[in-house]
Amino acid sequence: MARPVFRKVKAEEEHRLVHLDRDRSLVEAALRDPAAFDALYRKYLAQVYSYAYYELGNHHDAEDAAERTFLLALGALGRFDERARPADGEGASTFKVWLFRIARNVVANIRRGRRRSPSAPLEVAAGVADPLDIEGDVSARHEAGAAWAAVGRLPAERRRALVLRFVEEMSTAEIAGVLGRSEGAVRVLIHRGLRAVARDLGGRRW
Amino acid sequence: MTLDARNDEPEIEALRVDRYLESILLARDRGSLAALHDPRLDVGLRSTAERLSAQLVRVHPSFRFEERLALRLAEAAEAMRLPAAVGASSSLPTPISPAFGSRNAPGFGQSQVDDPAMLTDDEDEAAFHARPLLIGGALTSAAISLAGAVLVAWRLSRPAQPMARAIRAAHGRARHESGLA
Repeated sequence: MARPVFRKVKAEEEHRLVHLDRDRSLVEAALRDPAAFDALYRKYLAQVYSYAYYELGNHHDAEDAAERTFLLALGALGRFDERARPADGEGASTFKVWLFRIARNVVANIRRGRRRSPSAPLEVAAGVADPLDIEGDVSARHEAGAAWAAVGRLPAERRRALVLRFVEEMSTAEIAGVLGRSEGAVRVLIHRGLRAVARDLGGRRW
Repeated sequence: MTLDARNDEPEIEALRVDRYLESILLARDRGSLAALHDPRLDVGLRSTAERLSAQLVRVHPSFRFEERLALRLAEAAEAMRLPAAVGASSSLPTPISPAFGSRNAPGFGQSQVDDPAMLTDDEDEAAFHARPLLIGGALTSAAISLAGAVLVAWRLSRPAQPMARAIRAAHGRARHESGLA
């Protein structure tokens, strides 16, 4: 289980930092030779792309966001500061959280730039419906579209928290690192977001 | 129930929801449907969580896009390797051209380019920051209108001074005479 990664560290604790990032070897390789960044890119492309897709609602913008995110990450890799500690557990990846912070900024930047309501419900719904399920296709799209539309209507931080939790399957601690909030605040964001979506969908069973 | 317990209730429920989500996401990973059963959790919340877990699935980019971006990153990596090879710079340069919208993109200040992981205002916060400007503008315009109304009222209510009346009369006569001439 990943633990918080971007927390404040007291000065006297600095010398006791132990690097446990599960991506540490990949990051070190990329720092020695930028061409080795390809491994990190292949590992996280689908996650970053998917996050951007749910946030922006169409493939074109998601591709744009993924491209900017990885190019920025490659350029700034020298400034990546690993903060994992023994208490953070074995699966912690400060790199993943750092990458998603970049993605969050890039996506927010694109959303600010276009200043229009996202076309998310339709295209996202089309993307998540199973293409082989002919009979269930229409209703699946309709259900997924309604669910995503409800999530899309949430305030930005709640929406992001739900997407990171459900789509990216991030832990509360990782989401806290990405959003720059405490774990408690993230739990409340998710709880309120979920309640708002439940209200929006009428609490119907499906 | 004590006051403290009531105050903590939302956080306790948020913790329950968190545990429940953990269990359904774990069940999804294992390909099973069995999730934690917590009768204290609201039925509507449970069904919504299950629905989102089933329907918000990861979306993959096209193979073509993946390879195109991989090539672009490889080119950028090569460009970064060259200056390092000749000892031009010990730190990695940013391989982003303005076409990618980093340095010149609206909303990306120099600090974000230096540290792209530094959190920026999100769209809600940006709207919130814009609000005082709008409110300030409206208040200023209202204040100007009010000041104008007060001035007119003051002028109307103030009795004319004899000297001022004489000056206005003299000016009026001069204009009249020059008009006649």
